[in-house]
Parts: sequence; C-alpha cells; structure tokens
Amino acid sequence: MSLTLPDISTMHADHLIAQAREGDRNAQGKLMQVWYKRIYNFSYKFFYDHDLAMEVAQKTFISMHRNISNLQDSGRFRSWLYTIAVNSCREELRKKKNNRSVSLNEMRPGEKEESYQWEATGVRREDPEKVLRQNELSDLLQNCLMQLSEEQREVVIMKEYEGLKFREIAEALNISENTVKSRMYYGLEALKRMLERKKITKETIGYEL
Amino acid sequence: MNYKPDEATLVAYFYRELEPAEYEKVERYLAQNPEERRRLGEWSFTNKVMAGLPDKEVIAPPIFLGDGVSHRSIWNEKYFRMTLGIAASLLFLLVASWMLGLSASYSQGELKIGFGSREKTQIESVSALTEDRVNEMIQSSLVKNTDQVQGAWSEGRQSLEQSMQKNLVANSAKVDRFVQSASTANQEQVRNFVSQMQNDNLKLMKEYMQLSAAGQKEYIGGLMVDFSKYLQEQRKQDLQLFQVRMNNIEENTDQLKQETSQILTSLINPGSTAGNNTRRN
Repeated sequence: MSLTLPDISTMHADHLIAQAREGDRNAQGKLMQVWYKRIYNFSYKFFYDHDLAMEVAQKTFISMHRNISNLQDSGRFRSWLYTIAVNSCREELRKKKNNRSVSLNEMRPGEKEESYQWEATGVRREDPEKVLRQNELSDLLQNCLMQLSEEQREVVIMKEYEGLKFREIAEALNISENTVKSRMYYGLEALKRMLERKKITKETIGYEL
Repeated sequence: MNYKPDEATLVAYFYRELEPAEYEKVERYLAQNPEERRRLGEWSFTNKVMAGLPDKEVIAPPIFLGDGVSHRSIWNEKYFRMTLGIAASLLFLLVASWMLGLSASYSQGELKIGFGSREKTQIESVSALTEDRVNEMIQSSLVKNTDQVQGAWSEGRQSLEQSMQKNLVANSAKVDRFVQSASTANQEQVRNFVSQMQNDNLKLMKEYMQLSAAGQKEYIGGLMVDFSKYLQEQRKQDLQLFQVRMNNIEENTDQLKQETSQILTSLINPGSTAGNNTRRN
C-alpha cells in the first residue's frame, strides 16, 4: 500500500468527481489518471498476471465512464469504483476457469536465476543480490496471496494494499461489515500459517523489514 | 468478567476501526489474555511482511477510451434552457393577445392599444359628417379660394402695368439724353484724335527723314571711299600687268633682234651659217 498524501487528497477531490458525473471528459480522464495505478495493482495482486490486470483496469474505467452519471453520492466513489473492479475481476476469473489452456506468461519461472523476470528487472544499478532477494520475497508473498480463497483475497488486498475501511469494502462487495471482518480474520490467520510454513519468521527475515 | 471479543471485533481492534468504548473493552480483555495479545502480535508481523509486496509501476493510457458520445443532454444546457424559457414566454403572450383580441395601431402620432374589434368606434366617429356635407365644404372653400386668387391677381396686374408705364416714360427721356451726349462727345473726341494722330505722324516722318538722310550720307560716303580704293587697286594691278607685258615685248624684241641679226649674219656668211646651225641645233 503506497498511498501518498497527494493521492489521498486527490482521491477525495469531490469537485473532480462531481464534474465527471456531469459528463466532463477531462475530469473523467483525470480520475482515471489518479486511480489507474490503484486499480491495476489491485487486479495484479488478485490475478498475479499483468495482462489480466490491464484488462480489468481498462474495463473498470470504461464502465466508470459509462456509469458515473448514475453515481448518487460522490463520497462513495472509491467503494463504487472498487465494486466495478471486483466485478471485472470475477468476470475475468470465470473466463479463466472456463478456458483450460495455460498461457506461457503464467508459467512461473520459480526461483531460477535465469528467469525472464530476473532478465527483465529494470533496477540494474542496485545491488543484484538485494534485487534478487526482493524479487524472491515478492514472488513468495504473491504466491501466499494466491493461495487464499478468492473471497479472502479480495478483502485482504482491499484492506492491506488499497487501504479501504471495512465499511467501504462491505459496500464494494455488497456484504455486511461483519462478514468482511470475518473474512479478513481468516485471511490473516491463513497468511500467518503460510509464512510459518515457509519459515518466514522475525529471526529469518527481520533484517529485510 | 466474561467478555470475549469475537473475530470481527478483534480484526476491527487490530485495524483501529472500533468505537472508543469497544476499543477499551478489547484492551482490557487483551490485558487479561496475553495469549490473544501474542496472536495479534503475530498478525502485526504478518502485516509487515505482506507490506513487502510492492506496487507495480504502470502508466495510465493518455487517452480516455470513451464511446465518443457525450452523455450530457442538451436539455440540461444553461443557455438552451434560457432560450427555451424566453420562447415559451413569447408564445404565451402571443396566444393570450390573440384570445383577448388585442390590437395596437399607430397613426398621426397616436398609439392606440385596445381589446376586441375597433371598427365600431371608427364608424361612430365618421357618422357626424356626410358625403354631401363634405362636398359642399370643399366646393365653398374652392370658390372662396378662387375669388381670392383672382382678386389678388387683377390688383397685381394693374399695379404692374402702372409701374411699367411710369418706368417707360422716365427711361425714354433718360435714354435720349444719354444718346445725345454720347454723340456730341464722340465728334469732339474723333477730331482731337485725328489731329493728334496727324501731328504724331508728322513728327515721326520728320524724325525718320532726318535719320534716314544722315544714314544715307554716311553710307554713300563709305561707298565712295570703297569705290575709290577699288579703282586705285585696279589701276595698280593694270599698271603692273602693263609693265609685265611691256617687259615681255622688250624681251621678244630683243630676241627678234638677235635672230634677225643672226639671220643676216648667216646670209652674209653662209659658211659660218652651217656651223651656226649645227651649233644652234
């Protein structure tokens, strides 16, 4: 979760949202510029797939453009946008399950040094060993997320990485707050167990934090 | 104290989204149950580890992909609404005036606005004057006008004739006097002019003759001098020519004398003649 103060202030720019609701293309474009990275990263963490994340982000903002005039309350814009994103993710997930073929991009290179991700790493100036460790950790954490159930994964990503409140998550998923909290509880417990299984403890990874 | 927070409350406590009263309750519960607190500590660690999954950098497409049609209705446009309002008001006024029979007219500086038909009032106002009455009024005014014009015209004519006669008499006398004075004045002037012209001509002739006589004298004198010079020069040349001829004659004479003497001597001495001829040849 890397929300900065300007991001937060922009997110709450009711004026921009109000203009977008009135059909102002420029305001809609600005909203997309502000929120594109968040929606993409939400989708990426949900699928661990760049192409699917791009697809979901594109669909989300097309839907936003078509339906933003129906948004009643500007204060609910964030949860409304994540509702669209979650629905797009679920739609893509259904398509993915129906399609049994496996893309070459989905074949994870694992922990091999000759992986394409290692080759594609743009941060060449940093310490290669550190970059490698960081990539390995990211892969490991992403794999942990992917092992959660879809319902838990939605909630955990929205809470941990997107910074939504439980109320907003409940609005986005159209469920009760208690259900959200319960899913979060079991999600956290599952993640804790996964990290323990992978021997990621304060002692082993403390220096990274 | 049998309070035990459920899963949802614990999660809400962990993410600090509890009401203050509820929060304190959970705090007290955790103080009495270190096992639960330890579990929350583990969540905290899990949280920190999961935060190590960074965001991917991505650039948003520069152009918003819309369907190319603005969904903003023209009915919501401010200017359209204002124009529509004005048009509706005008239409309402037109319909109302038509139903009430509103009429407005402007003639001879009078603006008349009324409701219903206005023909009645026009008829009533005109009914006081009949056509014959109007014709009589016109006729009488025309007769009066004609009489006035004729009277004024005859008076003007008489006065004009009188003034013309007076002017004619006065002017003829003046013209006669003027002609007489002009004729006498002309005879005297002609005489004076002629005599003056004769005198002037005489003077001019005299001066001319004087000038011409002197010039002729000078010219004749010069001519005579030139002629005498010419004659003298001619005489000199003649004398020179004559002298040259005379000299030639003398030479010829001398030569003839010599030849004669030679002939005579040859005749006298024939022997020596051959010798002389050979020598001469």
